[in-house]
Amino acid sequence: MSAPGGARGAWAAWRTLTRAQLREQPLRVLATVFAIALGVALGTSVYLVNGAALSEFDLAARRLVGDSDIIVRGSADGFDETLFPALARLAGVSAASPMLELEVALPARHASLKVVGLDPFRAAALQPALMAQIGNDARALFAHDAIILSRTAAEQLQLRRGDLLPIVVGGDLATLRVIDTLSGDAYPEALGLMDIAAAQWTLGRLGRLNRIDLRLRPGTDAQALRTELARSLPAGVVALTPAMERGRAANATRAYRVNINMLALVALLTGAFLVFSTQSLSVLRRRTALGLLRSLGVTRRELRHALLGEGLAMGAAGSMLGVLLGALSASLVLHYLGTDLGNRQLAGMGAALVLRPGPIIVSLLLGTGIAALGAWLPALEAARRAPALALKSADAEPVMSQLPAGRPALALLATAAMLAWLPPLGGVPLAGYLAIAALLAGSILLVPALLRSVIGALPRTGSVELDTAVAQLQGGTGVATVGLASIIVSFSLMVAMAIMVHSFRQSFDRWLIRLLPADIELRISTGSDTGAFTADQQRRLAALPGVARADFRRVTQLRLRPDRPPVALIARDVANAGAADTLPLVSDARASVPSGAQPAFVSEALQDLYGYRSGATLVIPLGGALRPFYVAGVWRDYVHPGGAVVIARSAYVAATGDRSASEASFWRRPQAGLGALESAIRASLGLGDSLDIIASPQLRERSLMLFDRAFALTYALEAIAVVIGLVGVAVAASSTALARRAQFGMLRHLGMLRRQVLAMLAGEGVIMSALAVVYGLLLGAVVSLILVYVINRQSFGWSIDLAVPWRRLGALSAVLIAASAFTALWSGRAAMSQEAIRAVREDW
Amino acid sequence: MPSPPLLALEDLSKRYRPGGAPVLDQLRLELRAGEYVAIMGESGSGKSTLLNIIAGLDRPDSGRVLCAGTVLTALDDDAVTRWRRASVGFVFQAFHVLPYLTVLQNVALPLDLLGVRAARRELRARQLLEASGLGALATRYPRELSGGELQRIAIARALVHRPQLVLADEPTGNLDAGTAERILALLREQLRANAAAAILITHSRTAARSADRILRLEAGRLHALAAQSDT
Amino acid sequence: MRTSPPPAARLALALCTLCPALGGFAAQEQRAGDSALPAVVPGYTLQFPRDFGSHPQFGIEWWYLTGWLTTARQQQLGFQVTFFRIRSRLDASNPSAFAPHQLLIAHCAISDPQRGRLWQDQRIRRAGFGLAEAQSTDTKVWIDDWRLERSDDAYSAQVTAADFALSLSLASTQPPMLNGQAGYSRKGPDTASASYYYSQPQLRVSGSIVRAGRSDTVSGVAWLDHEWSSEYLDRNAAGWDWVGLNLDDGSALMAFRIRGRQGQSLWAGGTLRGALGDVQTFGPAQVLFTPGRRWRSPRTAVSYPVTWSLRLGEREFELSPLLDDQENDARQSSGAIYWEGAVRVQERARGVGRGYLELTGYDHPLSLR
Repeated sequence: MSAPGGARGAWAAWRTLTRAQLREQPLRVLATVFAIALGVALGTSVYLVNGAALSEFDLAARRLVGDSDIIVRGSADGFDETLFPALARLAGVSAASPMLELEVALPARHASLKVVGLDPFRAAALQPALMAQIGNDARALFAHDAIILSRTAAEQLQLRRGDLLPIVVGGDLATLRVIDTLSGDAYPEALGLMDIAAAQWTLGRLGRLNRIDLRLRPGTDAQALRTELARSLPAGVVALTPAMERGRAANATRAYRVNINMLALVALLTGAFLVFSTQSLSVLRRRTALGLLRSLGVTRRELRHALLGEGLAMGAAGSMLGVLLGALSASLVLHYLGTDLGNRQLAGMGAALVLRPGPIIVSLLLGTGIAALGAWLPALEAARRAPALALKSADAEPVMSQLPAGRPALALLATAAMLAWLPPLGGVPLAGYLAIAALLAGSILLVPALLRSVIGALPRTGSVELDTAVAQLQGGTGVATVGLASIIVSFSLMVAMAIMVHSFRQSFDRWLIRLLPADIELRISTGSDTGAFTADQQRRLAALPGVARADFRRVTQLRLRPDRPPVALIARDVANAGAADTLPLVSDARASVPSGAQPAFVSEALQDLYGYRSGATLVIPLGGALRPFYVAGVWRDYVHPGGAVVIARSAYVAATGDRSASEASFWRRPQAGLGALESAIRASLGLGDSLDIIASPQLRERSLMLFDRAFALTYALEAIAVVIGLVGVAVAASSTALARRAQFGMLRHLGMLRRQVLAMLAGEGVIMSALAVVYGLLLGAVVSLILVYVINRQSFGWSIDLAVPWRRLGALSAVLIAASAFTALWSGRAAMSQEAIRAVREDW
Repeated sequence: MPSPPLLALEDLSKRYRPGGAPVLDQLRLELRAGEYVAIMGESGSGKSTLLNIIAGLDRPDSGRVLCAGTVLTALDDDAVTRWRRASVGFVFQAFHVLPYLTVLQNVALPLDLLGVRAARRELRARQLLEASGLGALATRYPRELSGGELQRIAIARALVHRPQLVLADEPTGNLDAGTAERILALLREQLRANAAAAILITHSRTAARSADRILRLEAGRLHALAAQSDT
Repeated sequence: MRTSPPPAARLALALCTLCPALGGFAAQEQRAGDSALPAVVPGYTLQFPRDFGSHPQFGIEWWYLTGWLTTARQQQLGFQVTFFRIRSRLDASNPSAFAPHQLLIAHCAISDPQRGRLWQDQRIRRAGFGLAEAQSTDTKVWIDDWRLERSDDAYSAQVTAADFALSLSLASTQPPMLNGQAGYSRKGPDTASASYYYSQPQLRVSGSIVRAGRSDTVSGVAWLDHEWSSEYLDRNAAGWDWVGLNLDDGSALMAFRIRGRQGQSLWAGGTLRGALGDVQTFGPAQVLFTPGRRWRSPRTAVSYPVTWSLRLGEREFELSPLLDDQENDARQSSGAIYWEGAVRVQERARGVGRGYLELTGYDHPLSLR
């Protein structure tokens, strides 16, 4: 068992075999390599684009965190500014920087701009990289209307130094002056900088701060200080570590990123199945050559290593190609589309592609490893085969048929069923993905047995071509199965994704209709902290002649836990009894809220993340004090993955004294026209065109458009899965066709017309792909259940109602069947183009 | 014969199915170094099975195979394979010449597996090809050649690594009489030239006559036949 | 706006060195001629301790402490601790507690011959929240943990910078020396261009300093200038030269001159108080600064005259630096480069005292716009 001898034999065998593969089937090897390349490219480019977005994200967060040791944050409404000197004087604190961080409403742009009001002198110690460029501009920044824009903000808003930037504060318009722009190095995302005093005054937050960054003296225990702060800080104000602060951004999108990466992994897995089927078929085809090598003295292990080496070589080549393609496409995506990948949460611009060796090596290893995995079983099988039998070329059953079908398959399926019930791991539905993997593997193992029984039951048709095809399939179910594995995997995943996205879209649409019952929706700008309607404006709006009913909402943010993202607080006119009418509740509202208790409705995410159930008590920091609410119901929310809570506006006003509203819905009187009502609203507010007034149907349309954009990448990934699947079909078809050259030659010798042989092949293709489609549909449906009920729920914290896109699935199935019939035909033609006589002779 | 036999088969028994008729039944055989033996028998008499067992490609139900004192049947597959690689040459009825290798590469393949360096490999393979009269075909591919030429290649390949034992399974089964005669002559000549022992399995009496000794496999045992009996 | 001569060297220095933008800002308001800034007029009688304190209604004010220290190991060091207060009237109606109505700036440097260059650090803050303030009743000005405070005829200065610290007690040995006309100090031909200006020479210093973690007990002699104004530097000025000297016999000497763009003197002034309290005041014609050896900074390539002859009336002094490299490079924060350092004083080739010399506008003409 000397290793050198083993390695030598394996190496010689590998060289011999690889030379054979490349000489005999360059196209097939190329197709396999390309399939792996596609999977790797996809994974790599998603990773790189994501990485670029994240590093941009992280750089932005780091710039704002700077050298801080502790970040004290409140809700957007913040806390009293006297907390600042109190913290600045703490013994362990060497520097404190007071900040006001607000999303400022931009009229007519339907957007907001993140603005940080700070004291440049104090920030210089804590955010040196951010402040380096404005050190000399401090004086100009002191003006109450002065703002410095980051380069990204200036580009997005198309503003330059000296330009004016209109904003909305409360229900009024105000104007800021752009006094300078920062370089891209200073801050990579969209940001405006103001002086803290100017921000307090101009943005209507006199006496308030919402963030204080602290730098500690050397030797101060940050953890101990945070613990102390947690006790002493006002309600709703939390002390974060820099890691928490920086992690906030990444956390918000982690589920989304993980999902995309998992999709890329799915593409890779499909590639692995492709390697598997390519190798199985080629092992089968080369059985005599392999037998010869064995009889010439190549040991089992050497043969196994040589065949694994083939897979590794294809995997390595494909991975390298894939990394190149991935880097290329990532740079194109970044250049033309930016980093958001259709996801608004990742919005940003100008991120640079950074090629780090780590991820590239991981991509290479992953692609190569997965290819080796695909080559493993065929190699094992080929090495196990008795060389004497192989040389006699008697049996030709391929790998799949010799897999232990029954018990392992059922065990895998049972594992899948169990995994599907496990909770997420660190916010990521890993168990769900593993369940899908187990489900796929188990189902693939069941294919041979199922196929045998199904094909055995096929009736005879009387047509020579079809009957020969069926007979052929009956004789060689094993071969057929191998060809089917990769297409079943990719098609079922495609089906699952289609069902999941469709379900999501349908649910989202229904949810929108439920949530937008009014005729007109009015907001100053979504997600802004500054735009709000004053009580007076609300009275005037409600009293407009065309208005039958007006609902006002105040949306703000809360912090329930320091290590969790902020929770949206929605204060709206919601009567307990009528909650079901105005909120998309997923559980029945508790009819009886205990007397004296205030009802709150939590979103599913809040329920999942914090464990609040109907009937529980939810304590919310409001107006600087902790206030208990009675959880009266759970509602479905597709907007806030971090969770949202709805409370009665009256309770909010009572706690905070804040009578302003950030959103409004209007029902018009029967005789009032929409246009007239819009004009009346505009006239009443005097905000001109800056107001975002939109009829509910349009808002719904806009939302669905955003939805489709967000899933554009998913569709792209699906398309790639289809391509890989089709490559699988083509490879399988041409493999079998080539392997059966002798048979074709024999049939031609017996007098079968060329056309008839082709028809037979097409018939085989159609039968097989039809079976694959049916099986794929069933399997995909089951996978979609896991996607919808496990992965989606655990990733985003919201539920989806299952809905099946029959028409799209039908079209996909038809395309797949046609494509595989075509590839069968095509490869049959290719195989028959060689002389029939030679084909017979070469079947040694 | 003072020297121990190169190959000794001791009481080999083999059944295809448990409880079925034995294909080999307490079979015994001794083969001296350089000795050339032909084994004849009806189709299905177990000739190929015997050959596979000798080569370590199949296992007997009982009995031992010894080569130069080593009990091959006691070795594991890897060890037997290594022995085969170094000590055995094969000639098959179906030639089994790899179509994607040149003639030279095919002949050199056993040396390649043994890790012989390329230059020495080529030298030795060319030497064998010249001896087989195929020197001109070295760079050609098998598909361009005739059956006789392919079997000459196979013989060259079987002897290229100087094996002690050559196992030939119906090497002339696919060839016409004239070609068969020339091939057998070549085989014999090459066995001599390389001092290799050989077991030739055939059902052709003509072919068997090229051997030093002819045995007949019948009812699972070997029976001696006169070396030079009826023609 | 007005073309008037001498400035207060340190005044312009404050604005140009530490925050040139603020300087320009204040200048701009001055040009606007806002009457809300009180004028500096002759005839005002300084009242102590009230006038030791801050005068927040004036545009600019500073407490400028310089001096010589001797360590226990007999090492000679120079030091400066400076607090500036600047009034800003931009958005004066902003009710925010953060509104930068008053800005405080502090600068601290130690001249260390062994190090060969300065230890220096600076801070700038808006006044407020009790974290940075300048009190009006007596000298008490601070920015976080940097502070300068007077009580019981002694000052205390505390500075903790990144790589050095200083904790000094400075006891008065003489009454305040009023410069100019009883504290009204003309800065140029125009009488409106002036400041209120007194000095506290011959302060007896004791305390400790820390350099790069190493602590030393020190003693020495120091000089404090306190000056406030609303109007200053002539627009033709390129820079200025200033000295404050504690003479060994107990007398004190202050002299300054404003240089024009061609290097000529635009204005000059000086005060010499004898050990017995006899005060001589000098006008432009009686103060003559004559540059001697020049030193070129390897960092900025700016060339400074580091030895001087100073003629004050009949007397003639020779100034030589403790070390050549006492260049303050504040380009990173404000863009200004100047030389401010400890000097030895000789009169007729005999050492007669120690003090501080300040040289500005040698890299390029200082701009106050």
